[in-house]
Amino acid sequence: MNYLLCTLFEIKWLPDIWAVILVSVIGFGVVISLLILTVLFLVLAERKLLGFFTQRKGPNRVGLWGVLQTTADAIKLLCKENIELLSSDKFIFTIAPIMAFASVILLWCLIPYNSEFHLINSSVGVLLYFAIASLPMIFHFLAGYSSNNKYSLIGSYRSLGLTCSYSIVLMLSVMSVILVSGTMDLDKIVLFQSKTWMIFSNVLGFLIFFIATLAKLNRCPFDLSEAESEIVCGYHTEYSGMRFAMFFLGEYAELFVMSMLVVILFFGGYLPPFGMYLANAFMGNCEFCSYLIYFEQTIWLFIKTLIIVFVIIWIRATLPRLTQVSTLNMFWKYIIPISIFNLIMIIMMRALW
Amino acid sequence: MVKKIFLSIKAILKGHFAVLKHLFRQPVTMEYPEVHPFLSPYFRGRHVLEGCRGCGLCKRVCPSDAIIIEKNDNHYVNKYVIDYSKCIFCGNCMFYCPTHSMKMSGNYELAKTRKSDLLTDIYFKGV
Repeated sequence: MNYLLCTLFEIKWLPDIWAVILVSVIGFGVVISLLILTVLFLVLAERKLLGFFTQRKGPNRVGLWGVLQTTADAIKLLCKENIELLSSDKFIFTIAPIMAFASVILLWCLIPYNSEFHLINSSVGVLLYFAIASLPMIFHFLAGYSSNNKYSLIGSYRSLGLTCSYSIVLMLSVMSVILVSGTMDLDKIVLFQSKTWMIFSNVLGFLIFFIATLAKLNRCPFDLSEAESEIVCGYHTEYSGMRFAMFFLGEYAELFVMSMLVVILFFGGYLPPFGMYLANAFMGNCEFCSYLIYFEQTIWLFIKTLIIVFVIIWIRATLPRLTQVSTLNMFWKYIIPISIFNLIMIIMMRALW
Repeated sequence: MVKKIFLSIKAILKGHFAVLKHLFRQPVTMEYPEVHPFLSPYFRGRHVLEGCRGCGLCKRVCPSDAIIIEKNDNHYVNKYVIDYSKCIFCGNCMFYCPTHSMKMSGNYELAKTRKSDLLTDIYFKGV
């Protein structure tokens, strides 16, 4: 980003303010196109993997091996009619999916994709991330509330109840990470892990964070806010067409970005796992390599993230859904005490070393 | 308490690896119009009639009364019609046939758009 900015500053006829705007617009475009591509890929990957886990083939009709299935689905959703109930609150009903999706896009901009490309580089990146990450939940609630449907409302209330349980755990485990690394900057947290990954010094924190992540993403076994077999589709029961697509794609984008955060906090982010870049190992130190490394960093980040996503899909294929009461029981009675214990242990370790 | 937690975690992990094993197995899905399933040699599908002499035993044993035999003036079989809207594919006609002229093939694609098309003449007229 800085490199691009410098080259744009050198152009004489372009005012500096326009260069800054142009760089952010280009960065945002890159992020958006990445988001759309990964989400289309993720939906397909989830359907395929769930198929393989249950000895089916998954979608295999559209395109080669069903590659174009999600694209066709997306086009179909775009062409569909937006159905509104007469009794729904029109303004909130319209604005909720847009805002939910927009906040997820904002999350994508906070992630350091490689050591250069970091769109919103803040010194309190983790804090900012979780501040924005709590927004989609609010809009999910508003969506369920405004659509005037009993199933939507039940789904929204369940989602709220779940939030009360997981967000404390999430923040406590993130606090342990911040204590170990001593910084809230996502970039610096990644660079802190250049010797050893965070997971080796904070195993318990990782497990707690991962469970809380599953709850945050409304994934199995905590998908009770959109349980298909109980309450039709939870908060987006009444939605159709583009608005439904926004919820649906936003959910998958959030899944991916949350897995990316897990990778950044615990698995060394964009750093390669062997402590050495493949581009350097094969081609030595050349001019071209220094550009190639940026791509390699992004690829490492995505590979690690896809492994996390695979584990999440694996869990979805295995575990049944918990009830609301047992979820709250589990979080408040077991995981919060464990996470506080973990935090105290980390503080003691920090004090002793 | 601690033992209970450990046992439950062990059970969950066991379930996960049982699911993971299925990832590497061959899918049981059959893409039907392209791939046809393997049928047993005793499969009872569409009837094939060859060398019938028209004794009418099959008509008598048919539980759903699906067989209509039409004879000409010389008491030879002229038409042997099976009403597939009535036939239950029990195989009694094949079992009781004294000349073993009734066989049942593996052809199971018998859907028709009109009900009258289901009345099928299966009599093989000879060379």
